[in-house]
Amino acid sequence: MSNTNTMSIKEQNKSAASSLMKKNIRKFLRNKLAVFGLVVIVAITIACVAAAIMGIDYSTPNMTMMKKPPSSEFLFGTDTIGRDLLARVLFGGCYSIFIGVFCAVMSSVVGAVLGAIAGYFGGKVDMLLIRLSEIFQAFPQLVLVMMLVAILGERSMGNMLFVFIVTGWMTTFRMVRNEFMSLKGETYVKVCEAFGMSKINIMFKQILPNVLTPIIVSTTTNVAYFILQEASLSFIGLGVADSTPTWGNILNAAKSLQVVQNQWWIWVFPGAAISLFVLAINFLGDGLRDVLDAKQQ
Amino acid sequence: MSKKFDSKEIILNVENLNTTFVSDQKKIRIVKNVSFQLKRGTALAVVGESGCGKSVTMNSIMRFLGRNAIIEADSIQYNALHDGEVKEYHIEKIDKPHGPEMRSLRGPEMSMVFQDPMSSLNPVYRVGDQVAEGLLQHNKGMTKAEAKERVLDMFRKLGIPDPEQRINNFPHEFSGGMKQRVVIAIAMICNPELIICDEPTTALDVTIQAQIMELLKDMQVKEGKSIVLITHNMGLVAEMADEVCVMYMGRVVEFGSLEDVFDRTSHPYTQALLRSVPVLGLADGQKLETIPGATPNPADLKGGCEFADRCPYATDKCREKDIPMYELSPGHRVRCIRYSEYPLAEDGQKDAEVK
Amino acid sequence: MLKFILKKLAMMIPMLLVISLLVFLGLRSTGIDPITFMVPPEVQSQSPEIVEQLREELGLNDPLIVQYVRWVGNICKGDLGLTNSGEKISGIIADRLPYTLELSAYAMLFSAVIGISIGIISAIRQNGIVDYIGRVLAVFGQAVPQFLVGILMIWIFAIKLGIFPAANRVSPDATNAFLDAFMHLFLPVTTLTIGMVAVLMRYARNTMLDVLNSDYIKTARSKGIPEWKVYMKHGFRNAMKPVLVILMFRIPALIAGSVVIESVFSYPGIGTTMTNAITNMDYNLVLVITLIIAAVMLVASFMVDVLNAVLDPRVRLGDE
Repeated sequence: MSNTNTMSIKEQNKSAASSLMKKNIRKFLRNKLAVFGLVVIVAITIACVAAAIMGIDYSTPNMTMMKKPPSSEFLFGTDTIGRDLLARVLFGGCYSIFIGVFCAVMSSVVGAVLGAIAGYFGGKVDMLLIRLSEIFQAFPQLVLVMMLVAILGERSMGNMLFVFIVTGWMTTFRMVRNEFMSLKGETYVKVCEAFGMSKINIMFKQILPNVLTPIIVSTTTNVAYFILQEASLSFIGLGVADSTPTWGNILNAAKSLQVVQNQWWIWVFPGAAISLFVLAINFLGDGLRDVLDAKQQ
Repeated sequence: MSKKFDSKEIILNVENLNTTFVSDQKKIRIVKNVSFQLKRGTALAVVGESGCGKSVTMNSIMRFLGRNAIIEADSIQYNALHDGEVKEYHIEKIDKPHGPEMRSLRGPEMSMVFQDPMSSLNPVYRVGDQVAEGLLQHNKGMTKAEAKERVLDMFRKLGIPDPEQRINNFPHEFSGGMKQRVVIAIAMICNPELIICDEPTTALDVTIQAQIMELLKDMQVKEGKSIVLITHNMGLVAEMADEVCVMYMGRVVEFGSLEDVFDRTSHPYTQALLRSVPVLGLADGQKLETIPGATPNPADLKGGCEFADRCPYATDKCREKDIPMYELSPGHRVRCIRYSEYPLAEDGQKDAEVK
Repeated sequence: MLKFILKKLAMMIPMLLVISLLVFLGLRSTGIDPITFMVPPEVQSQSPEIVEQLREELGLNDPLIVQYVRWVGNICKGDLGLTNSGEKISGIIADRLPYTLELSAYAMLFSAVIGISIGIISAIRQNGIVDYIGRVLAVFGQAVPQFLVGILMIWIFAIKLGIFPAANRVSPDATNAFLDAFMHLFLPVTTLTIGMVAVLMRYARNTMLDVLNSDYIKTARSKGIPEWKVYMKHGFRNAMKPVLVILMFRIPALIAGSVVIESVFSYPGIGTTMTNAITNMDYNLVLVITLIIAAVMLVASFMVDVLNAVLDPRVRLGDE
């Protein structure tokens, strides 16, 4: 094979890939809900990050301004100890979105690596990992999280992230493992093995790209899942330490009936923020699935 | 176009059947102006590649298509003959596809044998009950015991060994060929006149295929059933059919008796099909697909002959407008403007053009 | 069949032991000393020998594995141990568990009936009004956190309309036990049901659609039987199995949901007990509750196997 020939094939592949990309983008843009989701996600994220950069005060209690309803001064009102709720929701967004994205990405990475190992090597490693994932899956995730919170004791941010990742890798693991099981029998893998390519190379450069699409989709929807998970955990009082204003921690105030009854803004705004963000992520995830899922095309 | 016919002789008359599927607010016409007649007690083979609309045509007649299908026809007339009396049913005028009128036809008058016996039987019920279900539906007052007797008779007739035991088995306990016999039993149990077989042997082993086809031929010859056989296997056509209907991209391109179609082939597509015996179009299909723009997508077909882009004899005229049906001799019709020049070319020239 | 069930049941015991061992070791490795909660700080500092004696009595100086074996042995004898404040755990469980079972059983029942019916109607009348409403509900049901739904329920029905009580399970002055139970259960059960229905509905719809597209549905129609028979006898019966299996798989979500919902409605069930036990670091109690939840999970997965065998003739014969 001459050099110019391979070059031209590469060029062809490139142009084919870019036209496929264009086609996918067009397809995505036609899905109005997905575009709406993306716009909402970007808007909320920018607002939260901007607030954090500007360093709006979210934490200083102001006893003279306690429990004020929304006004031109405090758009979302103030909470039970007089902190600006808008600032808290925006700051909380930073934490909640960070927790969601970080845990979703990391648990996908852990799941994909373990899945690749179990699927590619099979045998005893596979058995062990499968059993482990079964034990993890046998428990309601929230209970598992609670257990780990109990064991770790301290409710720091780092511990929370660790707990979520440890309890969230199983679905990706299963998916990747099953794909690897079926793909490792394919001829191209055998060819790579015959060429003496390293196992790591085959696993992550040759096989893994085939599974990337479902991983991307499930990572997207997992962001929503972890945000909800964090909110529930913080709501029952076992989440990140109370001083950190995650969306769940802000909502924790609504455990008091007085607040539910008299200060609707304290739970309506953070609640709406979570719901809107999760809704947007679900729309985006569905849109990505439609665009990327080759089976549906 | 509408010709008078003898409704005692013709069991099924279809005129200008059009079936359109709606998806994403786009309309795609899958079956276009299909007309044919089936003579009582004969077998008609409908042949063509996968996706040519042969199955959709028959499912339109049985009204099995989903909500997204629009069926329009000048006439879909089924003529039942009982004790010398003819009763006419106009299927195109029946509103509800699964209403009482259509249901009273399915089973006692017309029935269908499906392609894949593995999936056409309900996995959770015993086969005997599945066969008896239609019988009990159409014979009010029949007892379970009577129905069981009838099912046993049918199993014996279809050569299912040890029927007393077998009727209590579940579908997964049967082999493919035996399952297809059960499917045929379901189709036959109410003694219908018209049986539509949708590729009944495609999913079966070759040796079993012959047995099943023999069974169906027996039905037709001994019991005077009328059979429509959907297939792409020209070998089966030669064995089974009295008349042949060749379809391409939703249109009937050639229709005639077995002799007309096989010996006096008048459409280039039929020729291509016949040259690809025993298996349809492996070499031809692959090569033809490589002609630019030839992979026909029903959504963006232009006017003119659908086969023109793949046809070695196509001229500009072929692409101008829709091609009418020409009658070559009584009962032998072809949709090709160059029919008068037939036979067109010798094999040598054809191959040269093709390669 | 019986052998199959017994075999499955026998396999649950080692699983339970493994899980409880892991949790036991995990909790003991936290280094939290139950003594600190049992003995007042003054006693601890003034007379360490009393603490040491107590330690010896409670067996806290033995190796962990010995402690574990003794703990399991006691459980087998029906002794669940004591909480940090010296209450009998068995008493707490006996009080609280029925409430939680009640709550989750009703939620399970209603969500199954509602979710499956809506799902099946949506599949039969695809793109119809029920399908449309169901899809919108599913989208929102999956986006709004369950506890927020609970708060909304309290706000609307307890505070604004004043129909139902916002918290607790039993009113002190209740005269009609049934009515009292109904009033207190209505809101939490509804909240829990809403969360479950969204998922079940979607799943039932997709399963039923798959079934309705299968060839045997066409065969059934070719017999000329009425449509309701096609849907119910041939469609529903086949869609049943995967739907019931997914219902069993939703049990973890149900438990997690009831932990949160109990907290919203201050409902005195196992969920709130567990939350409080973790906050108070009452690890004997946490251990027992975890064991109960693990047992429930194993029973649920056992039910999946049995359901599979009962509903599918292929599995039934495969095991004999």
